[in-house]
Amino acid sequence: MIRDITLGQYYAADSVIHRLDPRTKLVGSLAYLISLFLFNSPYVYAIAALFWILVVCLSHVPLRYMLKGLKPILFLLLFTLLINVFFTKGTPLFSIWKITVTKEGLKQALSVGVRLILLVLGSNMMTLTTTPTRLTNAMEHLMAPLKLIRVPVHEIAMMMSIALRFIPILLEETDRIMKAQLARGADFESGNIFKKAKSMVPVLVPLFIAAFRRAGDLALAMEARCYHGGEGRTQYRPLRYRSRDLAAYLVLLLYLGILVAAGLLLKENTVPWTKAMLDHAAGISVSMSEVY
Amino acid sequence: MKKKPGKKEKTRSKEGFSALLRIKDLKYEYIRRDEENNVEGITTAVDGVSMEVKPGEFIAILGHNGSGKSTLAKHINAILFPAEGTVVLDGMDTQDEDRLLDIRRTAGMVFQNPDNQIIGQVVDEDVAFGPENMGVPTEEIISRVEESLKTIGMWEYRDASPNHLSGGQKQRVSIAGVLAMHPKCLILDEPTAMLDPRGRYEVIRAARALNQVEGITVILITHYMEEAVYADRIFVMDQGKVVMNGDPRSIFSRVEELKELRLGVPVACELGWELRKSGLPLPEGILNRKELVEALKDIPHKSGGGAAPATVSEKPEPEGGMKLIADKLSYKYDKGTNKERCALEDVSFVLHPGEFVGLIGHTGSGKSTLVQLLNALLTPDSGSVYYDGADIYAPDYDRKALRGKVGMVFQYPEHQLFEETVLSEVAYGPKNMGLDRKEAELAAFAAIKKVGLEDECFDQSPFDLSGGQKRRVAIASVLAMKPELLILDEPAAGLDPAGREELLSMIRTLRDEEGICVLLVSHSMEDVAELADRILVLDKGKLLYDDTPRRVFAHAAELEEIGLAAPETSYILKELEKTGWELDTEALTLSEAKERILEATA
Repeated sequence: MIRDITLGQYYAADSVIHRLDPRTKLVGSLAYLISLFLFNSPYVYAIAALFWILVVCLSHVPLRYMLKGLKPILFLLLFTLLINVFFTKGTPLFSIWKITVTKEGLKQALSVGVRLILLVLGSNMMTLTTTPTRLTNAMEHLMAPLKLIRVPVHEIAMMMSIALRFIPILLEETDRIMKAQLARGADFESGNIFKKAKSMVPVLVPLFIAAFRRAGDLALAMEARCYHGGEGRTQYRPLRYRSRDLAAYLVLLLYLGILVAAGLLLKENTVPWTKAMLDHAAGISVSMSEVY
Repeated sequence: MKKKPGKKEKTRSKEGFSALLRIKDLKYEYIRRDEENNVEGITTAVDGVSMEVKPGEFIAILGHNGSGKSTLAKHINAILFPAEGTVVLDGMDTQDEDRLLDIRRTAGMVFQNPDNQIIGQVVDEDVAFGPENMGVPTEEIISRVEESLKTIGMWEYRDASPNHLSGGQKQRVSIAGVLAMHPKCLILDEPTAMLDPRGRYEVIRAARALNQVEGITVILITHYMEEAVYADRIFVMDQGKVVMNGDPRSIFSRVEELKELRLGVPVACELGWELRKSGLPLPEGILNRKELVEALKDIPHKSGGGAAPATVSEKPEPEGGMKLIADKLSYKYDKGTNKERCALEDVSFVLHPGEFVGLIGHTGSGKSTLVQLLNALLTPDSGSVYYDGADIYAPDYDRKALRGKVGMVFQYPEHQLFEETVLSEVAYGPKNMGLDRKEAELAAFAAIKKVGLEDECFDQSPFDLSGGQKRRVAIASVLAMKPELLILDEPAAGLDPAGREELLSMIRTLRDEEGICVLLVSHSMEDVAELADRILVLDKGKLLYDDTPRRVFAHAAELEEIGLAAPETSYILKELEKTGWELDTEALTLSEAKERILEATA
């Protein structure tokens, strides 16, 4: 069923990770994503992966459910892997026909692949354990200073949370309309790209009409329930930092510390292929630490 | 915002004598404008309506689609503002902008579409939305959410995603969302129009409980007569005016007038009226089955219980071989995940040329999956479908041509319209089937005629038509492909009673005149009983019965167990039999039931 897609879909469970303040999780996820770009070393990736596994264990989200989130990027992943394998110059390993596979290429592909996977898994961790409402709530809070320069923070957050609520509904609607047009003899598969694009008109027009109809209905329903913008609004679940959030921040710092230490210390001992890249990465990390 | 208890008591006792809602000479116009903002036309949606509603009343507003009942309702909580006249809610004029939020909080509103009014991603977050907007302190929001969800019986679903709830449950969540604002008045704007019978029952039961237990004033807008029976007072609207006003008994005794207004009456009520017209001494305004049986009990009749069933001429088995064979169809959802479940299991049946077959089952029984398998929109996990002797899932089978021959009209088919004119909309199918422009338009022309649309419609945009007309265009767009088998999924959903009747009689004509084999998917026993030669009953993905309506409805008890029911008329006759009448209880339609009763009294 389309309604069960993982995109922004919350996995209901009661765990430490679920109970964390969404701001903690948002900051944590961002820090985690950045940490993946600090060093390019297998040890660092191993630490990042271990940290991720630790969080998964704490989160009570089944591993299979988490890995399902990789499906949408499977194509992208394969594509980058192949590009890296075939187009990196270096010591040839073996060659098939005109394509030469190099040692550097393989390693490059592997590290890019691991990084991509961890990126997706890391951000999925947050969306699976945080309801989108709480997530937007966190963003609203973290972006609150922007209100001073007249950024409509509350409105943006509200728009995002509504979009998230309606994405599964609109996907299902798309499926239904496509089937209805198929039943009228539509053909979405054959022909060149222009013909295919044209064949989507009978799907897109009703879809847009439906989206506008829903938007109108929703606006009425929100008005009827006294919605009048962010002013004077209270919250059902206001964000409050608790001791577990402090603990989480400490764990996060610890992780970052270990990661940076490993990245810097193991630099000399690493296999030659990473050396050049590590020099480069160290350059970045130095500039990053300057930023901090 | 919380009032002190003492003050609250005082205001309530004062209101006890005055009206909660007072509408005076309300007039509202929809002004259509063209692209240059010139006035193109004015439709008076509400025209001089006056009414008063006392606290604690249960009011029903009836009217066919387009009678202005929803427009009227939207004035009560200041979503629309009167062009003329006044609306005063709990002492507040709705035009008073300073009190806008107070007004909306006093009169909460639940809308028709269950999907389009839930804002939260999780049930309890949605219920909290109203109080959050009102600025209620957090602690109180928490208690209000719990209290409203418990009142409505949805507390155990508080952590669920609304996407995983049934239509009836979603509507109850919406009601809870309004309750959390502590309204004095609950306005329900056709809350059941998009629900199945089970969902309808849930929502109406909830509304009645709120009225009786919590003392909340309820204003229910509907075109289901059965729901209005429970009201204290009914207002019937037509062309923006209130044309009838009174208690259910007095309203439902005016059957003829109601029919003229494109409305119906509950089955028991209509049967009572028909019998009275035929000379039986029955009181006026019978509202339900119990009252009818009670009234008939004492009328002189043949007695002796358990009469020999009259010989009913069953339709002979259709000849001409088999058109479509479904052979052991099975289909699973979410294959390979932990949520894998069987949508269909070993379903086999046969459709003959020219047959009218009904497919019934409640929501989630696998009806929609089954019909999508029949024209290869889905592929089964096992089993197959043979059309004219050929396996439609064979790799080289021309499925596009099949979809022309097995026409499929989805639920709410008007949502698939996209063309600029009705003619090109209907010609889309034939063109896809490979006809050239001229042939396609000829086919479209014929199809539009068949569904009974006027000639003026041809060049109009389908989006400018009324709801019922749009649906006809959508059906014509399938008919234009000249199908031999027509599958209709709930074709009458959301239409008003007269609209339903017109549409169903059109489908019957199609079968009778064109010889098209029809498979009608429906929740409504009354529709299927009247139209179908044969009924397929699905429950939890299994085919339970495949028989004539009479024989299927003989299993009334089993049908009830799976959330279905036999037609109301057969219950009435069975109850009469229990009181000692001697009559044939096998009557599927209203006119048959009437004859059985008259025979027994003769």
